Amino acid sequence: MRARIWPTLSWLGSLKATLVWLALTALVLAHSIANGEPVSVIIALPFAGLGLNLLLTLVVNRHLRSQSGLLLFHLGLALIAVLAALGRLLALSGHVEVTEGAAFEPALVVAEQGPLHPGHLDRVSFVQGSFRIHYDPGVKRRDTVSTVFLLDGADGWQPAEVGDDRPLVVGGYRFYTSFNKGFAPLLTYRDASGGVQQGAVHLPSFPLKSYEQGNHWTLPDQSAEVKLWLDIEDAVVDENTAWTFRTPDATELVVIAGDERTALQPGDSMALGRGRLSYDGLKTWMGYSIYYDPTRRWLLAAAAMAALGLFWHIVGKLRLARILRPAGRQGVYSHGS
Amino acid sequence: MAHEQLILTAALVAYALAALISVIDARRGKGEQSMALVIMTLALALHTVAITLRWQRLDHAPYVDLFEILSSNVWSLHVAVLLACLALPYLRPALATALPILQVLVVWLFVTEAVDHPAPVTYQTIWLPVHVSFGKLFLGCLIIAVMLGAVVAVRRFDRRAFAAMPNSQRLDDVAYQFVLLAFLFESLMLVAGALWAQDAWGRYWAWDPLETWAFLTWLAAAGYLHFRALQKPSPQLSALLVFGVFAIAFLTFFGVPFLSTAPHKGAI
Repeated sequence: MRARIWPTLSWLGSLKATLVWLALTALVLAHSIANGEPVSVIIALPFAGLGLNLLLTLVVNRHLRSQSGLLLFHLGLALIAVLAALGRLLALSGHVEVTEGAAFEPALVVAEQGPLHPGHLDRVSFVQGSFRIHYDPGVKRRDTVSTVFLLDGADGWQPAEVGDDRPLVVGGYRFYTSFNKGFAPLLTYRDASGGVQQGAVHLPSFPLKSYEQGNHWTLPDQSAEVKLWLDIEDAVVDENTAWTFRTPDATELVVIAGDERTALQPGDSMALGRGRLSYDGLKTWMGYSIYYDPTRRWLLAAAAMAALGLFWHIVGKLRLARILRPAGRQGVYSHGS
Repeated sequence: MAHEQLILTAALVAYALAALISVIDARRGKGEQSMALVIMTLALALHTVAITLRWQRLDHAPYVDLFEILSSNVWSLHVAVLLACLALPYLRPALATALPILQVLVVWLFVTEAVDHPAPVTYQTIWLPVHVSFGKLFLGCLIIAVMLGAVVAVRRFDRRAFAAMPNSQRLDDVAYQFVLLAFLFESLMLVAGALWAQDAWGRYWAWDPLETWAFLTWLAAAGYLHFRALQKPSPQLSALLVFGVFAIAFLTFFGVPFLSTAPHKGAI
């Protein structure tokens, strides 16, 4: 039995097998490139093959075990693969929009998450403040600085600044500002029974969709569905010069219910459905990308370990004398010698 | 800006002239390549001035758009070849293989319009220059391996070519050492790039087209090194494999980034 298994294990842990798995990995990548598709989870198969190959190589290949640098490099690679897989199981990647003056609502997060993600988003709490975005001529977005307020047990609400490259880190979740942001009419609806509800309707991203500043909205008591349209009267965007994102000075909120159009100024109200709708003013909303991956620091350590191992191995392997004087006697060569 | 363009054009003409002279000298059996080296040094000096002027004017290093990436790589690849020829004089005859290859990039740069793009906010991190520098070291080492492989390939058809250089087996051995170094720099480039991505977009790796291609290049180099350890291929086959790695690296560096306006998704 042992006599039959050992040759199989030897082959699976051989350099030939490494080449096969490397080629299969390349094939999976080439397939995704050729079809213009994201790299599929099938990549896990050749990666697992390479991992198995490495483990068996460690058992059957004394040569690898005896070269410390090479060994460290390969162990670092194996660790990266294990951590990356674990990271995918635990990770969350999503996005959310938060209205100015309102608190972050975990329920509004649109996300993809691994099956072992701990789901602690409900422990994240902050209130959206104002934000500042500079644009270069040609509507090229530059710095985004979004102010949020975090509840500090001792000192009350503390401001913090978030940007595209400056995350807000709460409970392991990293929030980055995204290109997505816009305007949000603040509305109050008083239904027939006297109930009052206030909320904001997020309009499409601005200035990306500056000509589509409308959205459909169903009243809280479900008595009507309306279309809201923001009529911006002053030019907020200047395509030819640098400018800063701001709320327009002059706007009208057009409420379209069936064939009826009603233009509201901030403070105006109208009868709608089975109640009364008030337009309280125009707010903004900010879009955030959210990431969670507890393995990232360990991944960094594993990558550093692999790089160190490779450096160690290559420095030991480099034959400077051969590079500097490769022939001994220069000017003499023979093919295939 | 007009000055920059003028100086850059002069540099590109000088690169082309150096390539032409290197081929003529090689055909005449002049191994020192002194004239080609002098003209290449002049071209590099002019190119350095052009890049510096643009860097000062736009206040960012040349890695934001198609024009800048081409320009900086034409510069760094010529620097790699020049330094190799100065440090290892036996390589000089092989200038006649490296410089004509680099003319592809020189002509491409010549026909590319220089447009001013601001650096995206996500480019303001120390990891980006580290990532870019390792990338240039990787390509620099690889072009020297290709240069040596080209000598081996030419000798397949003309046994007397590059007679002043060491034999093919030795050249293949030196090329292997440069691929080893290239592999180290490619690995470090991927690590630094992942750190930049983490800094900029909150994730280390997302299989964007450039990341996928860069990993494919890494696999190709790893495949070459493993194959060499296993098979001990002939210098000719080894040279072909080095060309293969270079072809994939070339597509990664000069094909994929230019399908979009920015090398990665950072330029929003």
